[in-house]
Amino acid sequence: MHHKLLDLILILPAAALIFSIFTDVLWMSYLQLAVSVLVFLTVGAVALSFNSISVFLGGFFFLDYINLVILITVSTLELFVAFYSFGYVRSEIAGGVSKRKFKFYYFWKNLFIFSMMVSILSNNLGIYWTGLEATTLATALLVSFNRTKESFEATWKYVIMCSVGIAIGLFAIVILYFTTFQVYGESMRSLSFINIMQAGAKLDKNFLMLSFILALVGFGTKVGFAPMHNWLPDAHSQGPSPVSALLSGVLLNTALLGILRFYQINSAAGIYYPRYFLIGFGFLTIMVSAFSIIKQTDYKRLFAFSSMENMGIIALGFGIGGIAVIGSLLQIFFHALNKGLLFLSSGNVLAATHERRIDKIRNLSKNFPITGIVLLFGAMGISGMPPFAMFLGEIYIMTGVFRTDIWLGFLVFILLILVFVGLFGKVLKMYVGKENEDREEEGEESEFKSGVTGGAHKAVNEAALHTFIVYVPLIILLFSSFLLFYIPYPFLHIVKSAAAEFGGKLIFK
Amino acid sequence: MIMEKIAELFIILILVSVVLNVSSPFIKFAIKLYSFQSLMLAFYILMGAVHFNSVNLYGSFVITIIFKVILIPYFLFKTLKKVKMDKEIDMYIGIPEALVFAGSLTLLSNLIAQKIVKTGITFGSFVFTISLATFLIGAMLMITRKTLFSQIIGFLTIDNAIFLAANSITHGMPLLVELGVLFDLFVSILILSLLILNLRRNVAS
Repeated sequence: MHHKLLDLILILPAAALIFSIFTDVLWMSYLQLAVSVLVFLTVGAVALSFNSISVFLGGFFFLDYINLVILITVSTLELFVAFYSFGYVRSEIAGGVSKRKFKFYYFWKNLFIFSMMVSILSNNLGIYWTGLEATTLATALLVSFNRTKESFEATWKYVIMCSVGIAIGLFAIVILYFTTFQVYGESMRSLSFINIMQAGAKLDKNFLMLSFILALVGFGTKVGFAPMHNWLPDAHSQGPSPVSALLSGVLLNTALLGILRFYQINSAAGIYYPRYFLIGFGFLTIMVSAFSIIKQTDYKRLFAFSSMENMGIIALGFGIGGIAVIGSLLQIFFHALNKGLLFLSSGNVLAATHERRIDKIRNLSKNFPITGIVLLFGAMGISGMPPFAMFLGEIYIMTGVFRTDIWLGFLVFILLILVFVGLFGKVLKMYVGKENEDREEEGEESEFKSGVTGGAHKAVNEAALHTFIVYVPLIILLFSSFLLFYIPYPFLHIVKSAAAEFGGKLIFK
Repeated sequence: MIMEKIAELFIILILVSVVLNVSSPFIKFAIKLYSFQSLMLAFYILMGAVHFNSVNLYGSFVITIIFKVILIPYFLFKTLKKVKMDKEIDMYIGIPEALVFAGSLTLLSNLIAQKIVKTGITFGSFVFTISLATFLIGAMLMITRKTLFSQIIGFLTIDNAIFLAANSITHGMPLLVELGVLFDLFVSILILSLLILNLRRNVAS
């Protein structure tokens, strides 16, 4: 295992972060493409040559199969988002948004990516916590990017709720530290995940129980589990679309990783009931989001609730164990891709029409031929319909659920159908509904005018958008569909090994 | 022995300041109380540092003073001055009821602490009780008050509770982690202050 490559995963975003302070936005967008491609290639190279748990940067960071899956997810989605951002910045500036407003866009985005990478790769739970809180702070100013009253309120709710949630997570880490302190004494090893896993059975079970519950509630706030979720739809719908895609696609998984780590520690100590908590929270989350999806009127909020639903499914899968864990790990990757394309393509509609309400958007098939079709198929994919990759993850999870408890499986199945009807039905209406055709025609004419004046005039047409932001979601869609039929063997191997590690089959040396 | 008693006094003062916070509707006073509470926390850490002669705890004492006693209250005062509001009128429950709740939360945390913490563990049940009570009352402050400022105060109180717990293991958490945590806390307060200013401006216009 090449340690230099591992270091590079952290160094590259940090370098981009520093460059973004001094560089002009348009130049930075080229640089960002280069950095994202490099990060993707590095992660790819690491993934191909990965064979055992490796520690790097002085023992503070490590790589195992589970965080490798999330790392691959982050780098893949970030690659697409970098290309999308390239077009997004240009479209917005052409559409009349001042360049000054975008000055810190790349800075915060890179800080976000960097702190997420730190979180994912950290071996030390304290560093994991610091990174996770830093992601909240880095994204706070991205969520309030539009500087409207709604976005500020959403940001307030987001920062306060997540900070308190993560503070509860810190309490969990402190309590875990009490237990490991008795084995390792005062040293960094008491917080190091690998060392805690080795101590396993020696740890005090009462404290471990408490720490898992606190971690589940604390980090669960950031994952968006049901009773603590009410910041999520606001925050995810208010940010610029590329940021929404990253928030929904990968940040939720980063928070989930914390819960999984505590779960692993509990399993290593021989405590097995945490799975019931995961199943319970997962099911509750699916239920709440399913009913919320049905009555949504704002399409970005609709997709935000769908992220919540998918996190519920993923948590359910991890709780069930066995074959469902493979499903959950696949789902993490596929959901990130699929949610990314939904947020990105709905971002196109928003950028062109400046309209968030579902009933105001009609007849996308005419004015947005490509974006519309991507949105339609994306909605199909996100509900787990066959020609798209998420079908695979969901079928694994559902198989596991049905094997464990047929009634639970039945209930989840009904809820999934509900989600499908709600989500797909709404997007279908946006795609083919024919209510305000006249307005659209006007829009097409005004698009020519705006070309002449170059002002902030509304352009209700896809042609006004940058090529990248139209085609990137389409490419993700095709990629996602392709993955259903052919998953590269190395990736499948990593997922299987991660499932084995989660099941406690991998011994930490 | 006498050192332990003094340390316990500091811990009790932390709880007292939280309860005082529940009973007062003034934001300025609440920020001062927070500063006082952090100072007590810092002294408690100092007692530990002197007792165990631990460099880690001395470091923890210094960063607690810098961040929690000086920097955060300073920025909160600055924001408060710009927003020009002091008394909070919006509370979901009255002060007497809130005090009763605070008392019962303290009792509850005592019960929980008795159940969980066995004797013979480094981490005393007394500290755990106070820390849990501070934590719960801080959460109650967040829930029962509508003003944005008191939500920040509630959040900071919760954070102090966790710090109290973290530093009552003989030598505290590793300094690097504590520094990271405090820095994050500080930045989040900056961002929240910024948001308060923006929200005010938007409401006013």
